[in-house]
Amino acid sequence: MKSVKDGIVRILLTMVLALLIGAVLILAIGENPISAYRALLKGAFVGKLSLGTTLASFTPLLLTSMAFVVAAQAGAFNVGVEGEVFLGGITAAYIGYQWDFLPAPLLMIACFAGAMVVTALWAFIPAWLKAYYNVSEVCTTILMNSVALYITSYLVSGPMSAGSANPQSPPVLVKLKQFMRPSSVNVGIFLAIAVVLLVIFMLYRTSMGYKFRLVGTNPAFADFTGINSKHVFIKAMMVSGMIGGIAGTIEVLGVYGYFLNNFATGLGSNGMLAALIVKSNVVATPFMAFFLAVLKSGAMGMQQATGVPKGLVDTITAVFIIIATMETLFDFLKRRKSDETKIELKDFGVSASSANSAAAGTDGKRPADQKGGKS
Amino acid sequence: MSFFSIMSKVLNLSLIYASFRAATPIIYAALCASVTQQANILNIGTEGIMLIGAFTAVTVSYFTGSWILGVLCAMLAGVVIALIMAVGHIKFGADICGIGMGINMLALAITKFLLKAIYDVNGAFSSPQIKVIPKVSIPFLDNVPVIGTLLNNWSLTEWFAIILIIVLQFFIFKTVWGLRLRAVGQFPEAAKTAGIKVNAVKYRAMAISGLIGGLAGAHLSLGYSSQFIENMTSSRGFMGVAAMYFGGANPVKASIGCLLFGFADSIGARLQAYGLPSQFVLMMPYIVTIVVLAISMAAQLRSAKRRQSSLN
Repeated sequence: MKSVKDGIVRILLTMVLALLIGAVLILAIGENPISAYRALLKGAFVGKLSLGTTLASFTPLLLTSMAFVVAAQAGAFNVGVEGEVFLGGITAAYIGYQWDFLPAPLLMIACFAGAMVVTALWAFIPAWLKAYYNVSEVCTTILMNSVALYITSYLVSGPMSAGSANPQSPPVLVKLKQFMRPSSVNVGIFLAIAVVLLVIFMLYRTSMGYKFRLVGTNPAFADFTGINSKHVFIKAMMVSGMIGGIAGTIEVLGVYGYFLNNFATGLGSNGMLAALIVKSNVVATPFMAFFLAVLKSGAMGMQQATGVPKGLVDTITAVFIIIATMETLFDFLKRRKSDETKIELKDFGVSASSANSAAAGTDGKRPADQKGGKS
Repeated sequence: MSFFSIMSKVLNLSLIYASFRAATPIIYAALCASVTQQANILNIGTEGIMLIGAFTAVTVSYFTGSWILGVLCAMLAGVVIALIMAVGHIKFGADICGIGMGINMLALAITKFLLKAIYDVNGAFSSPQIKVIPKVSIPFLDNVPVIGTLLNNWSLTEWFAIILIIVLQFFIFKTVWGLRLRAVGQFPEAAKTAGIKVNAVKYRAMAISGLIGGLAGAHLSLGYSSQFIENMTSSRGFMGVAAMYFGGANPVKASIGCLLFGFADSIGARLQAYGLPSQFVLMMPYIVTIVVLAISMAAQLRSAKRRQSSLN
């Protein structure tokens, strides 16, 4: 219970600090921070359209952040969610307008299934390279994002083009029902929540989730107990990819109705930010995703009502994450109690909290990663 | 047109310079990542450092009319960003991938924000008032056939990249400073026992990395082009990190990797004239990077295993 309280206090402190730094930036360009933040909140919540837009941008963030969390639980740093959203979207669009022989409900299922298969296979590549050849998954997933982006861009401007001025695919034959018009929020949000609940259940109540978490905390131990840590690592990345694919499918079937070139820029990376801020804590991540969605959808209102460019919101988010990753920044609050143990650990070059850190697998757990690279 | 006639048009002497030119920003990025990697810090923030450097260089050059000041301020900005990462990682225990990605996001967001706030433009800023890094033209080389096309009219920072590779290689592998740096990276406890201030060495490595990263950005915006475009690094920082892995944090080997990526880039640009869709051209460097990285890591792993078994 204590650690939960500490966590909440830390997040709130971080949030305040990030907003303060944002306020300094707003002051620097000669605007009033208080009215800017008020306009931001107004743009996110007041009115049916605003609230709907917030919920609509919350849907993909919820899924992409959870996709990152699942991979992080198994010690993977999956930056590739961004590309997976794109590939999931394009697969769903392809099946959605091409497979007209299927009745609507089956077609809907086929869209989701196809997107999940494609993204799982896509995520398999970096996972396999990391597990068996120790290739940094951070590097490969980032580079593969660009590849995914160009593949989809080629497809919608070439073979899958609708022939219109904008590079986009023909409209799909099934759609997720929208409510709260004129905003684009759709039943996909309930689907997303269901997926997240399912993922939480999987992580904490099934043996697969247990294996994920075990490999994430200590792959060597997992190997000793007879769990193949490489297989589990790959599986986690593939599940993470599937969730990204679902996010892309919901965007295509629910929001747009077709695949638009570059339609999902930033969805994956913002989800990653949400997860990173709370260190891939499964329960806290959805709330952080919601907070980022509020910032995102309020930004437009802020830009319109005041002279503050909406780019400021991204800056605040980035500052937020930089402060949030600094594990021991707020330790002065409780320094007296744990001073001695901490110094002791530091002397041996062990970061006291690296075991809890989401992505520690990338810098601490596989020492061959760095040492092998240098020989 | 036959395959060979296309190939003979694509593969000519100027391709060598084109490859090098496309590779230089990545070389700087790889050097930036190599310095910290020697101290066992994976500098994922290379991309962000470069982007901030590129923006600072353009801004200072635009307002002061001096490219030298632009480059120097870019390097300074790089150091500031790198030190934020260093303090976060070393003092406050931030996960290096987390804070690195945060820095990248910050760079992307703040340059976008400042582009709007300072110049009131979206996307890109270019102006004739931006003074670029001069090209080194050697008049008498114009008349020398092969060397003239190869070596003349390089940008100053392209020449400097070569010098920097050699200097860094020397400092990392032939000086006491380099020995300490590598000791800190490979076995911090032993380095500490030997009286080396581990954290001081790490901070210094990050600062140097920031200098190089800032220079990389300045080269990108003032040497390679003459403008600032939103997200103009377009993953070059990550390609640099990939090249660093490829070369095992060895400046010379990493730079050779960069040349491969540059080659893929410039050959694709030429094939575009023969009907290759632009998206394939654009994705080529990324794919080549991934493939080369995978192959080199597999080879390194194998040789490491072989060495281990011979020891037993």
